[in-house]
Amino acid sequence: MNDFVNNIKKVMLVFLILFIALISYITYLYMFKSETAVASSYNQRLWAERNKVLRGTIYDKDMTALTKSTRISQTSQKLQYYQGAAFAHTIGYMDPRYGLSGLEKKYDAELMDDGDSSLSKFAFFSKDNEEKVGKGLRTTLDSELQKKAYNLLGNHRGSIVAMNPKTGEILAMVSKPSYDPNYLSRDWKSVNSNKDMPLLNRAVSGLYPPGSTFKTITAASALKNIPNVYNSSINDNGSLVVNGTRLLGDFQGESFGNIGFKSAYMHSSNVFFGSLGLDLGNKELKNTAEAFYFNKHTPTIGLTIENSVFPSYKSNEKGNIAQSAIGQAGVLVTPMEMALVASTVANDGIMMQPMLVKEILSSKGKSLEKLQPKQLGQVMTKENATTMKSLMRSVVSGGTGKGAALSNILVSGKTGTADHVEASKQEAPHAWFTGFAPYDDPQIAIAVIVEEGGQGGQLAATITRELIRTYLK
Amino acid sequence: MESLKEERKLLRYTYLLCIVLFLNMYFIGKDSFDNGALIMGAVICLIFAYSHFIIRRFFPDGDKYILLFSNVLAVIGLGMLYRLNSPNALKQLIMYAIGIAIFILVVVLFPSLIKFGKYKYFYMICTIILMALGSLLAKPTYGARNWISIAGFTFQPSEFAKLSLVAYLAAALQNYGRDTQGKSEIIKAKALIEPGIVVMVSLGFMVIQKDLGSALLFFAISITMVYIATSNFKYVLLCLGLFIIGGFISYKLYGHVRVRFMTWSDPWKYATSGGNQVVQSLISIASGHLFGTGVGLGYPKLVPVVDSDFIFAAICEEMGLLMGFAMLILYFLLFYRCMRVPVYSKDNFTRLLAVGYSTMIAAQVLVIVGGVVGAIPLTGITLPLVSYGGSSMIITFFSLGILQKISEDGQSYE
Repeated sequence: MNDFVNNIKKVMLVFLILFIALISYITYLYMFKSETAVASSYNQRLWAERNKVLRGTIYDKDMTALTKSTRISQTSQKLQYYQGAAFAHTIGYMDPRYGLSGLEKKYDAELMDDGDSSLSKFAFFSKDNEEKVGKGLRTTLDSELQKKAYNLLGNHRGSIVAMNPKTGEILAMVSKPSYDPNYLSRDWKSVNSNKDMPLLNRAVSGLYPPGSTFKTITAASALKNIPNVYNSSINDNGSLVVNGTRLLGDFQGESFGNIGFKSAYMHSSNVFFGSLGLDLGNKELKNTAEAFYFNKHTPTIGLTIENSVFPSYKSNEKGNIAQSAIGQAGVLVTPMEMALVASTVANDGIMMQPMLVKEILSSKGKSLEKLQPKQLGQVMTKENATTMKSLMRSVVSGGTGKGAALSNILVSGKTGTADHVEASKQEAPHAWFTGFAPYDDPQIAIAVIVEEGGQGGQLAATITRELIRTYLK
Repeated sequence: MESLKEERKLLRYTYLLCIVLFLNMYFIGKDSFDNGALIMGAVICLIFAYSHFIIRRFFPDGDKYILLFSNVLAVIGLGMLYRLNSPNALKQLIMYAIGIAIFILVVVLFPSLIKFGKYKYFYMICTIILMALGSLLAKPTYGARNWISIAGFTFQPSEFAKLSLVAYLAAALQNYGRDTQGKSEIIKAKALIEPGIVVMVSLGFMVIQKDLGSALLFFAISITMVYIATSNFKYVLLCLGLFIIGGFISYKLYGHVRVRFMTWSDPWKYATSGGNQVVQSLISIASGHLFGTGVGLGYPKLVPVVDSDFIFAAICEEMGLLMGFAMLILYFLLFYRCMRVPVYSKDNFTRLLAVGYSTMIAAQVLVIVGGVVGAIPLTGITLPLVSYGGSSMIITFFSLGILQKISEDGQSYE
């Protein structure tokens, strides 16, 4: 052991190098890896931070609570959704694993905001044990109507949107199939892999061919662009033929003979509106559609609406131009868009901004901010809107929409039976109904789509009728 | 007396650290101000003041910094434990008090340690029995079979085996080359066969008990002691070679070894299974940044077993990466002071004993911190003086007591 001191020095040197290497490695981790580590989905710190505040409550328009969060432990809480599946898409969910959706996502900042000033972040100096609760939201939803709409759709896939045409307040918004957000983590696998996509909010994100309900827009465009179109008529022999090519035909081989504007709308003549589309041309029809917020973002309070699509066609694509005028070809709409169209007609041509939230409340329930209805613009003139209103009234009183008629309320509307292309087989068409009531002083505008529901004048029209009956009783 | 002044300064800073730490804990108390924190801080201050007083007053010759540095580390550990889990911190405080008591008793009561060099076979038998105990009696915890329970008192026999292994190696290697002066290397090497076999048996037991951290630790201690005893670098290479072969065989043989390596190679890929601990620890360390979130303001409890194996991550998150670095530097300083001890010692047995115990502490820090940050495969051993765990605390203070005693003896010769 002659070199003892030397050996000790060498061993110390080795350990010194190891310690320095370790510190260097940690420094390297900190400089280059820490951001991805903190941002990783395994980092639950953000949720733990969020859980310091008990989430605010969402109410319906009559201040009945739709959600309520309760404390489980210091770092966790349970959000209960009192109405379960019927309100699932509209309210959305909050889950540490699956994130946020719906209103919970849109108004996350408010629902998490306990309204404390930043000074009280040093809260550990003051020991008040009062639970911090986020702000509340008062929605525009009518719980009774929402539940009715949910039940009326039954086991069909589809969607219903009901709104107040004068204010744009959403009264009900249903998408089916649905899921129960109370059991999200239990059901996630099956819900997420289901081919019917229960997680999709069809009301604002489902894109469907509008079928004949689109004729409302075509009619509005014609009234605006073609002088005296209301008194024009054509000979409808069941199919529209241009230069020897059959572009489209009437529903189930019907033919209406000599038909005018009003009865073409009442009875949903494809030939009439197809040729109207050709007369208007793609550009004019597209302009009108875009005035109704096709192809662009629709401003909202509390919603995210998928853009409805009206395509551009070259002037020689006659088939597509004619088809697009009856809501086929490449035209795709959300149920929300069609509800907006109906409510614009009902509201003298003024489109209102759709709103789902009308008031922000303090955690104690005091009103902090009232959200005001806002006009999105005069989409058509008042005269044309009045004309369209009477046309829609005639559909229910004597046309394809008789199924929506009520004895004591004047219902107006437009049916749609939209063909859709499924890769595998020929499915039944989607059934549409868009309408409003009462005729003289519209209180409610509705769009209903039942996927593969057949003719619009049947199931979709009766659902609309029942909803109006419930709302206006 | 320059040294005394420096010691006092360091002691005062330790008080300050302790007071600030537990005042903080007092303020962040859950429902009301936490009086327990103040009491706990005061008790800790008293304990280390007392221990320093005894050593200073009655044993002025030895190295005072060993105790000072250990106390700083223990204060940090107790503070963090109190924040994580105050009932555990109370248990740990008792263990700390017992540890300090053992430290003082070893210094006060033990006769000169030179006499203990004779009991080589006693240490050997102790080592083998303690190593085997885990295999015979243990119930698996966290996948490793290294905890045994006797009369309601759980402890890790492998912790105590460390002590006897170092003692055995020191006794076995103390006479290396004395009687074989000038003879060939092969005759010299014969003296190493027996210790070699004992070490290999110990490592084997550790691998079977899935206690890979201890295996790595024993290896590091043995290789250092052999090098110090023989001054022959070839043996180090030979040991490394054997270790790699042994590691390779156990990799092929045991699933748990393979899992450790796999999760180490890419913890993020196994983030929901085996890599979860390391991933959570990395996130925790990264969340703290350089200066930490502040004690009580982070979420270290999201890291599994955070109060024992992963306490380093919790400290980095709440007190900052710089505190982590400071702790590593403190550990190295402690190691440095410990390694100075044998330099002044005249006897081979005590020299080797001191080297063994110093290496034990330093290697333990490297293995667990390396594992916690993902630099090496994760192995569940404790961070000495800081982690929650009674046996670790007692073992560490016992070995520090031995080092103090050796330093005392060495200094008094001069």
